[in-house]
Amino acid sequence: MITLNDIRKQYSMGPTTVTALGGVSLKIDSGEYLAIMGPSGSGKSTLMNVIGCLDTPDSGSYVLAGEEVGGLQRDDLAEIRNRHVGFVFQVFNLLPRATALENVELPLIYRGIAAGRRRREALQMLEQVGLADRVDHLPSELSGGQRQRVAIARALIGNPSVILADEPTGALDTATGLEILSLFEQLNHSGVTVILVTHDHDLATRAPRVVQLLDGTVTSDDRVGNAAGRSSRQPEASRCE
Amino acid sequence: MRVVANLIMLWENAAMSVRSILSNRARSFLTALGVIIGVASVITLTALGQGARVSVEQRMSTLGANLLIVYSGEPRGTSLVRPRTTNIRPTLTGEDLALITSLGEELVVSTAPESALSGQLKFRTRNTAATVIGTDPHYPEIRNFHPTYGSFFTSADMEQRRNVVVLGIQTYRDLFPDGADPLGESVRINGFPFRVIGIMEEKGSPSQDASAIIPFSTYRRSLSGEDRYAMINVQATSPEVMYELQDRIEQELLSLRGLPSMELADFYVANQMDLIGTVTEVADTFTLLLGGIAAISLLVGGIGIMNIMLVSVAERTSEIGIRMALGAKSSHLMTQFLTEAVILSAGGGIIGVGLGYALAWGVQQFGGLLTLVTPEAVAVAFSFAAFTGLFFGVYPAYRASRLDPIEALRHE
Repeated sequence: MITLNDIRKQYSMGPTTVTALGGVSLKIDSGEYLAIMGPSGSGKSTLMNVIGCLDTPDSGSYVLAGEEVGGLQRDDLAEIRNRHVGFVFQVFNLLPRATALENVELPLIYRGIAAGRRRREALQMLEQVGLADRVDHLPSELSGGQRQRVAIARALIGNPSVILADEPTGALDTATGLEILSLFEQLNHSGVTVILVTHDHDLATRAPRVVQLLDGTVTSDDRVGNAAGRSSRQPEASRCE
Repeated sequence: MRVVANLIMLWENAAMSVRSILSNRARSFLTALGVIIGVASVITLTALGQGARVSVEQRMSTLGANLLIVYSGEPRGTSLVRPRTTNIRPTLTGEDLALITSLGEELVVSTAPESALSGQLKFRTRNTAATVIGTDPHYPEIRNFHPTYGSFFTSADMEQRRNVVVLGIQTYRDLFPDGADPLGESVRINGFPFRVIGIMEEKGSPSQDASAIIPFSTYRRSLSGEDRYAMINVQATSPEVMYELQDRIEQELLSLRGLPSMELADFYVANQMDLIGTVTEVADTFTLLLGGIAAISLLVGGIGIMNIMLVSVAERTSEIGIRMALGAKSSHLMTQFLTEAVILSAGGGIIGVGLGYALAWGVQQFGGLLTLVTPEAVAVAFSFAAFTGLFFGVYPAYRASRLDPIEALRHE
């Protein structure tokens, strides 16, 4: 469902050119749960931006849900993000003046869906993440874990092809982080494709598939035998080139 | 389907804008204040201008409706109210008067000849100077100047050259300071005894209030010895025929005198329409000027809106980033911020209209100036305000819509 083929991306920082992605190829199937791991500067943020259609690669092909994203313009990218990508950020990125419900509704507003249906679906999503009793709270009235749940509900609402979570537990304490993580796992069990971007080894290795990134290239792509299993925590080395 | 989605977006934008405006009430109010003051001042100042126009028109009509005055002497301007009404060398004859009257009832309602001189009035030991006017019984009707007490003289008084006088209110007050009933009392005018038969209403004009009005026949025999008239008041049937009537009078009197053109005439015709035209023109210019000054303040208000919108876009960079990540297109963000600017300015416009009405009312109530709020002024001020928001909102909205989503998300 996601096919990246030789994706390259460079940034010029003053006089020097930095290679953020130096030919990344990756294939992610529908229903997968995968972690992209790497230290800061490894290019994982750039890769996430490319997968999330916030950024376009300099070269290479990226096919998302059957559509080549490569040469698309801003507004087309916005539409693809709206339909196919659900973002979950480290700092939640909720609109501070909107209630939980209104935050969750937001993607459907940009899809032009009428208020009644939007509200119904948003309520349903909030219920799914266990916040049925917090719908009218502002983000400032919610705990960190609850805010992240709102963000997850918002990411889920449009029924996107992929949930893209960037350090989703980074701003949470360990226990809450684990709760959020198990929410992702639970969602994955029900068929949602989840991509987790993190630098945290423990977090990453909970995923059945771990892609290691270093200096803009994939250094390892490890799969745990059964896609659903999370029992094994040690990464098996199996290069995928 | 696309149209429905767009309509939904528009509605959502309005709702989002209102929420964002309300969440920052103090700032929103201060932002809109420029527009509020601008709109209110446009409305108040044009109301003052139009009020001045109306009050001038009202004053004009107190001179008498559809009034033409044929004056003796060389033409000088078109002034209906001359600084000096007494001691004009009279050149208008009874023949002239008859000619004008005979122009027909489709043009002329009635005519009243008039001459005046400065006279000395005496009642017992009291003395006063007054404009002594000799005229005929049509005078009150034509000049819209009626007795407030007693009555005006009649055709019989005129024919029999009775020594009767109607006093102007000021003259009455000078001669009867204790407020005594003057009817039947004998007043001396330049030594001749006259019986008081009425008091004229107050007009606020010295030449009319400090007057003593007597039949022209008596005036000629006792005071002036001159049978020509200084002026002839003519009441036209309607405002529409006034220029036609003026033309006819000029032609008839010229041909009676065997003169080729008005340049050589010993009379001239003052037309009320000219005066009203001049005065309302001045009032309209005044209105335009005031409105223009107020419009500048509206412009400044618009710049204030742009300023705040730019700050708002900068402040809400991360919000913009979030919206972009969730699928907002450039047009969505553009309309969101534009809607916000327009709601601020249109909201300010509505408050401004209310304030403008209140101020105009206040000025009239407590400042004693007549004000008139015209629907045109309200419409122009309001739409200008809304347009200001649109115009000055474009640049900040464009900035918002062009942000890089990654940069915007990273912001803060």
